[in-house]
Amino acid sequence: MKRYLDLVPISARAHKKQNRMSILCIVFSVLLVTAIFGMADMFLRSQKIQSYKTDGNWHAAFKQITDEDAALIAARPDVEAISWYDVYNYQAEPDCSLGEKPAAICGFDASFLSDIYTGIPLLEGSFPAGGQEAIVTQNAKEAMNLKLGDTITVKMPEGNPLTLTICGFAENTSMMLRFDAYGIFLSTEQYRAIPQIAAKNAGTVPGMYYVQFSPYSNIQKAISDIQLQLGLSDERVGQNFKLLGLMGQSDDPTMLGLYLTAAILVFLVLLAGILMIASSLNSNVAQRIQFFGMLRCIGATPKQVIRLVRAEALSWCRFAIPLGLGIGIAAIWTLCAVLRWLSPYYFADMPVFAVSVPSLLVGAVIGLLTVLLAARAPAKRAARVSPLTAVSGNADSTAPARNAAHTACLKVDTALGIHHAKANRKNLLLMAGSFALSIILFLSFSTLISFMNHALTPLDPTTPDLSVVSPDSTRSISGELLASLQDNPAIERAYGRMFAYDVPITRGELHGTVDLISYEEHQFRWAEQALLEGSVEAAEDEAGTALTVYSPENPLQLGDVVTLECNGTPKDLKIVGVLSDSVFSTGKGLGNVICSEDTFQDLFGPGGYTIIDLQVSQGITESEVETIHTLAGPEIKFSDRRASNAEVTGAYLAFSLFVYGFLTVIALITVFNVVNSLSMSVSARMRQYGAMRAIGMSGRQLIRMVTAEAATYAATGSLAGCLLGLPIHWFLFTKMVTFRWGDPWQIPVVPLCMIIALVAVTAFLAVRGPAKRIRELSIVETISAE
Amino acid sequence: MNLLEVKDLNKTYGTGETAVQALREVTFSVPKGEFVAVVGESGSGKSTLLNCIGGLDHPTSGTVLLDGENLFTMKEQERTVFRRRNIGFVFQSFQLVSELTVEQNIAFPMLLDYRKPDPGRIDEILQVLGLRGRRHHLPSQLSGGQQQRVAIGRALVMKPMLILADEPTGNLDSKNSQDVMELLVQASRRFQQTILMITHNANLTASCDRVLRVIDGVLTDLGGVRE
Repeated sequence: MKRYLDLVPISARAHKKQNRMSILCIVFSVLLVTAIFGMADMFLRSQKIQSYKTDGNWHAAFKQITDEDAALIAARPDVEAISWYDVYNYQAEPDCSLGEKPAAICGFDASFLSDIYTGIPLLEGSFPAGGQEAIVTQNAKEAMNLKLGDTITVKMPEGNPLTLTICGFAENTSMMLRFDAYGIFLSTEQYRAIPQIAAKNAGTVPGMYYVQFSPYSNIQKAISDIQLQLGLSDERVGQNFKLLGLMGQSDDPTMLGLYLTAAILVFLVLLAGILMIASSLNSNVAQRIQFFGMLRCIGATPKQVIRLVRAEALSWCRFAIPLGLGIGIAAIWTLCAVLRWLSPYYFADMPVFAVSVPSLLVGAVIGLLTVLLAARAPAKRAARVSPLTAVSGNADSTAPARNAAHTACLKVDTALGIHHAKANRKNLLLMAGSFALSIILFLSFSTLISFMNHALTPLDPTTPDLSVVSPDSTRSISGELLASLQDNPAIERAYGRMFAYDVPITRGELHGTVDLISYEEHQFRWAEQALLEGSVEAAEDEAGTALTVYSPENPLQLGDVVTLECNGTPKDLKIVGVLSDSVFSTGKGLGNVICSEDTFQDLFGPGGYTIIDLQVSQGITESEVETIHTLAGPEIKFSDRRASNAEVTGAYLAFSLFVYGFLTVIALITVFNVVNSLSMSVSARMRQYGAMRAIGMSGRQLIRMVTAEAATYAATGSLAGCLLGLPIHWFLFTKMVTFRWGDPWQIPVVPLCMIIALVAVTAFLAVRGPAKRIRELSIVETISAE
Repeated sequence: MNLLEVKDLNKTYGTGETAVQALREVTFSVPKGEFVAVVGESGSGKSTLLNCIGGLDHPTSGTVLLDGENLFTMKEQERTVFRRRNIGFVFQSFQLVSELTVEQNIAFPMLLDYRKPDPGRIDEILQVLGLRGRRHHLPSQLSGGQQQRVAIGRALVMKPMLILADEPTGNLDSKNSQDVMELLVQASRRFQQTILMITHNANLTASCDRVLRVIDGVLTDLGGVRE
């Protein structure tokens, strides 16, 4: 030993067990902060990747500007990429077509594919260099067996068709697949030179001018500057709100509300970390007050004692912070692996071993600063220990009681347990505070579930992957096609619907029209989830019955018998059930009426389907999809929603994983915190327990005492958690959900019960460890330690 | 009739070369109502002897019979209850429960037994201890001598067969030491209480009926001293 601070490692070896809990506290705090910040970072990264793919990596889009204006924007130092973009036949109308399918013609600069819309990669060939070159989407290549250099002819609604030479193939876009259309991409110059487009725009510059700014610039200011400089009205400036929001660069009120929410959650997480470490250090120092008294006795100054406590705390950090960061990184890697496994389409670009530098920095800084700050109070307390305390042997780890326990109403063990919990106000505050904070954190983060369920609608079980649609919305699709599709092993479920639009209906004085839709077995089962009143089975099994879908405009009620005019013949239909919702939007009439296929055919005679929906097996190949497409025939509209479904599923899964991941981390931290806090509290009173055992307190009575103490912390913490957590939950819910979707706030009964039950069960189970120690307690050794 | 019978008591700490024999073949008996002092140098084994008699520590071999009951054939829970009801402890550092008042501390063993404290008994003890005016005080509001008196009261409350006092005056000044000794003697005489007291202060043995000396774990009966 060369200096007094060398006592730290020696003391650490002697107090290995005591220190282990403090080290674990620091590890868990650092882990909590690192994991939550890391998960948030990963979430932002994945959402950015998604945003690049689905909405593009652009920040602002200016329309109705001139080429000179565009040149001025492009010359700005804070602009990283720019591209003109316009599309002709966006709605995929059949009068602009390639082969037998509608074609959407897009014109943009080369940077559009390379920098702005990276979600549409160029699979083969190069960007049109000029002349009549064009890129077509992969679906056109496959359907028409095209090669680079082939010539295609695009039929235009007016004037001459376009003759183009293929210079490249690009990935299909989800929109193209959904509309069953081909995409044809031209350079901006070529696009503008198309006579039909030039005529349509009559001398003005068509399309939008997409701008990608440097991520380090103040994008809102840049957009305002451009708007001011070019005199552009707000309507002529679009913003990629989602991407800007993810970059923290949005001034959208909804986004600002979300930023505030994030700030509150960050603050709560930091507070949880700080409180855990502070509580642990406080207990640790409290247990060794006599030791510090001894140091003072042999000549250590208060300052030296403070330095010693601080050095001790820092020595734990040396081990605990890297460990916490390491486990945090491992947690994040696991999360990334789970994400890639859950949605390979969505998270293909996510690095396998991603390291979130901001989360590591925050974790390390929070760990270190908290330890230093948290060590201040116990260090000062240790420094205040009078040397006399050590000499007289009167040092007790627990402060002298201010008032007596109430033994009159309760059993002495229970009364003492409750009194122990209440005896030291600071300790009670820290312990109950830790419990309360866990509840507050859980409640606060649980608002994200409501947010997620609104912002990202999970795929409805009825959502099809592929649809075969009658081009003129009649019952032109044969039942044989449905039967053969049902036999296809690549199709998991195939179900058809017959539609009759604007069917005249009367009920007494009421006259109007409804859309009549037929359901089969699967659709009736799904409809049961939305049944408000009546019976789905009745509509399915009984002829002449139907369901209706509730809407404020729909006057049809359960039990109504309505008369439908079916091909000129009046026929009665009884309403036997009301659904809250259906996947179909209400048309111009009174509403939607749903009946069985048999009832539909009784009303309108035999015929085919208007639409057949298909849910395909996982791992279906493109050639199998093409076979289905061929089977449906060329005269039928074919809609492929797999890409857009994958986008929705991916987004939902990703967000779910993050939200539930956060909640799991918080729940785990709660468990650890409760267990650790109680263990430390028991350690601090071990000597007192030894004396009580000597006097005649049994092991069971001691355990009952510790249980009462734990129950007091849990009850106080739960009460405080509810009192503070519910207003915070209300605030966050109002900001995130009510503000956007209007849902009124309700007491979050389920999460509240879950976390309180977790705290209670954990507090109860946490007594088991100390109970074991108490059972193994050597009375002689404990008393001799005095 | 002997209340306490200790026979061939041995206690060894550690094993092999590091083994320390704290008690060697200790044999003695104490009749009911006797006030016995055990003297010896620090580390001689007297506290180990007291801990073994009180059932706080297990002897390596030998028997301890209290009123014919062998403490070490009992299960832990049974021994705890037996100790609570039949043995009173007085420690050098008082070991009062800081959260309980003087009255509650005295009644503590009764409360542990889930019995309603007898107010008359508590009052009598407080009277004997001279602490009636301090019955609602907390230990932190008492002097060392007063705290030790409370500890004696706690030891007396269950009317135990035996009181074991480990250096009861070790933390007290001479005046308070004298008071405590007087109390113990009074208890021995007034309540016919059997007391085994450890001390290294030979002056305190004057008021005891008999003195036992422990040297290196070996006990010698020095006979009666009380005048």
